[in-house]
Amino acid sequence: MKLKWLLVAVAIGAQSGIAAFGQETNSSSADIQALQQEVQALEQKVEALQQQQTTQSSPAENQQSTQVQDLDQKVRILERQRELDQQAAADAAKAQPKITLNANGFSFSSADSNFVAQLHGVIQNDSRTFLADGGGTAGKDTFLLRRARPIFSGTVFRNFDFNFTPDFGGSGVVIYDAYLNYHYNPAFQIEAGRFKAPIGLESLQQDVWITFNERSLVTDLLPNRDMGFELHGDLLGGKVSYAAGIFNGTPDYITPPASTQAVDDDKAFDGRLFLQPFKTSDETYLQGLGFGVGGSYEDDTGSTAASDLTSGYKTDGQQTFYSYATGVYASGRHWRLSPQGYYYYGPFSVMGEYAISDQQVTKTTTSADIRNSAWETTVGWVLTGEDASYNGITPRHPFDPRNGSWGAFQVVARYADLYIDDRNFATYALAGSASEAKAWSVGLNWFLNRDIRVDASFSRTTFNGGGGTVNNGPVTAQPENVVFTRVQLGF
Amino acid sequence: MKYFLNVFIAVLALASAANAGPVTLLNVSYDPTRELYQEYNAAFAKYWKARTGDDVTINQSHGGSGKQAQSVINGLEADVVTLALSYDIDAISQQAKLLPANWQSRLPDNSTPYTSTIVFLVRKGNPKGIKNWDDLIKPDVSIVVANPKTSGGARWAYLAAYAFALETYGHDDAKARDFITKVYKNVPILDSGARGSTITFAQRGIGDVLLAWENEAHLAQKEFPSEGFEIVTPPISILAEPPVALVDKNAKRHGTTEVATAYLEYLYSDEAQEIEAQNFYRPRNPAIAAKYAANFPQLKLVTVDSEFGGWAKAQQTHFADGGVFDQIYQSQ
Repeated sequence: MKLKWLLVAVAIGAQSGIAAFGQETNSSSADIQALQQEVQALEQKVEALQQQQTTQSSPAENQQSTQVQDLDQKVRILERQRELDQQAAADAAKAQPKITLNANGFSFSSADSNFVAQLHGVIQNDSRTFLADGGGTAGKDTFLLRRARPIFSGTVFRNFDFNFTPDFGGSGVVIYDAYLNYHYNPAFQIEAGRFKAPIGLESLQQDVWITFNERSLVTDLLPNRDMGFELHGDLLGGKVSYAAGIFNGTPDYITPPASTQAVDDDKAFDGRLFLQPFKTSDETYLQGLGFGVGGSYEDDTGSTAASDLTSGYKTDGQQTFYSYATGVYASGRHWRLSPQGYYYYGPFSVMGEYAISDQQVTKTTTSADIRNSAWETTVGWVLTGEDASYNGITPRHPFDPRNGSWGAFQVVARYADLYIDDRNFATYALAGSASEAKAWSVGLNWFLNRDIRVDASFSRTTFNGGGGTVNNGPVTAQPENVVFTRVQLGF
Repeated sequence: MKYFLNVFIAVLALASAANAGPVTLLNVSYDPTRELYQEYNAAFAKYWKARTGDDVTINQSHGGSGKQAQSVINGLEADVVTLALSYDIDAISQQAKLLPANWQSRLPDNSTPYTSTIVFLVRKGNPKGIKNWDDLIKPDVSIVVANPKTSGGARWAYLAAYAFALETYGHDDAKARDFITKVYKNVPILDSGARGSTITFAQRGIGDVLLAWENEAHLAQKEFPSEGFEIVTPPISILAEPPVALVDKNAKRHGTTEVATAYLEYLYSDEAQEIEAQNFYRPRNPAIAAKYAANFPQLKLVTVDSEFGGWAKAQQTHFADGGVFDQIYQSQ
């Protein structure tokens, strides 16, 4: 074949050369045609030679060549089949359900992620030690299982999320969360069931990430869990979060299940708007800024048998310092308002919240509007340099003493103040109740890894007024000094 | 109550509006359309920007047509599907209810902006002398084609061969079945999609002939110029009509109905028809088809409706589990 092309090339070259020469010498086209015929004749000779060469191959050689070609094809087919089998196996693996076990818990999902089952959990082993407890806190020092909650959550049919969270930490099993959430898209979601009422900033923070063992005094004025429906979502890539819902309505801070049972036919309207305007900004020092406001409104119709009022406001040490007097009940409008905000930048954090709980109450034939308020601010600094956030701290170097890594350490401080409306105080407050509680706290939080945390803190609460000898109602110690510890597993 | 309803609707509208961001579409297509849609997507994005001022990004997903349809049924969030045959889109409509049953009447030409056919791609010099379908059943011919259970193109190829046999043997189905059995006896390996079978033939050097989409055959020629592949257009083949459709429910949920509809409608524009012709899809526009007539040899093209009674019947008879293909291929 090469020979053929060589001859053709030579001939063409000759032809070109002659053509050029022809231009100079004005040769006739007959010469060119003659040359073309010569080239064609040469081509025919080459082809004839090639055919002769082929026919001269022995039958054995031809058969051998065919066999080699057949074998080559078979090998290629086998290799390709293996390739396709591997691809099919890889595709099949993708279609298999996925099991994940990591620091975020256990997850089991269908291949298309339309069905997901997750298991998370919280175990908090606490201690409370009251110092200089000559008063009513004697005998209150205790180790306790503050929370022991398996959290079952997941998704069915792609858009329906669920959460079921019982708590085994108390004297009996209590269901804290049980809800279904339909997420059409991030901006539009509907939740139904029992879950946290959308008002407070600290109260909405996950239990595993709160700064101190107990939430601040502000939380006393806000609802805990409630039963109802909520429309909520994140807009503009999470820069705006909203929630609005209709609920049974709940007295100030009462834990489930009592807090979620309707006392009357009236319903509460709760809502919250929270902004993080610089969440996606290039200015990193502004990204962690968030602020908003939450609130609620309801008409309460209590009675002397079912007051629909808080069972009492509690200190950091979970001792009641204010209760309504016997016979006082909710008798009308109850609204709350809670401006709130936080700022996180690197290891620094600050959170602040203010709350008003305005409640109409009646005792026998007299009624009054009681407006209680509280505020708090919490600051923190991660000594080991990790970023602080509303959703916790992830140590850069998880605890592993063999390799010299110890996790993350954070120092925290908080001041909180709760004012009881002192108008008509004597009429509506249980004897011995305080009209104000001021609490400051300091602590050290040690994050061994994403899941395990060990905390120690001290809290001192002082009171205006109050004190006495009535058990479980008035102030139990003046001041109240408590040392807390916590060993937590949260995943 | 009316007040609350109004507030609810307002919140919904606000939520939808506020959730708006860069527009992204997902086009779930069949195997050999990668190059076509890469070029078309760029043209459409430019057109949409000029028309609305909005940027649009179109993501592509490719695979065997049947597999792609099943993926959409299983939850792949396609805004539009551009598959190899209408049966696959019917399956999405019937099984997942993501688009109405009359989807094919919503765009011109039964929602097929371009057509194609099945041709032979042979090795340099066509050493086995393959010119027509009956050359494929010679004992020494090795055929490369994809699995018709998963590949739309392979289903067209199967039906083209079957149609040839019906035409040749006076519509004697027994003889046609015997013919198709002999054809697949010469198929040593089945890929899941048309692109896979092109790789088998062109890159892995397997077989003497590839039964290919016309556009895929041209692409293989272009991609492997040193191999000297030759395209043989048989005297008879099948009119392949790859349809396109909006996946209504997905698009509505994504808020992309308007742009997705425009994306499909623009496939009929002069600019898009030129792109389709340049990628060796036969354009519907007669003027543009005439302009590129040299690329598309004339041949007798039979239709699925005329030879096989429509796609539903053809699917049930030939490609459903236990159908003719299973019988002839498993018996080998």
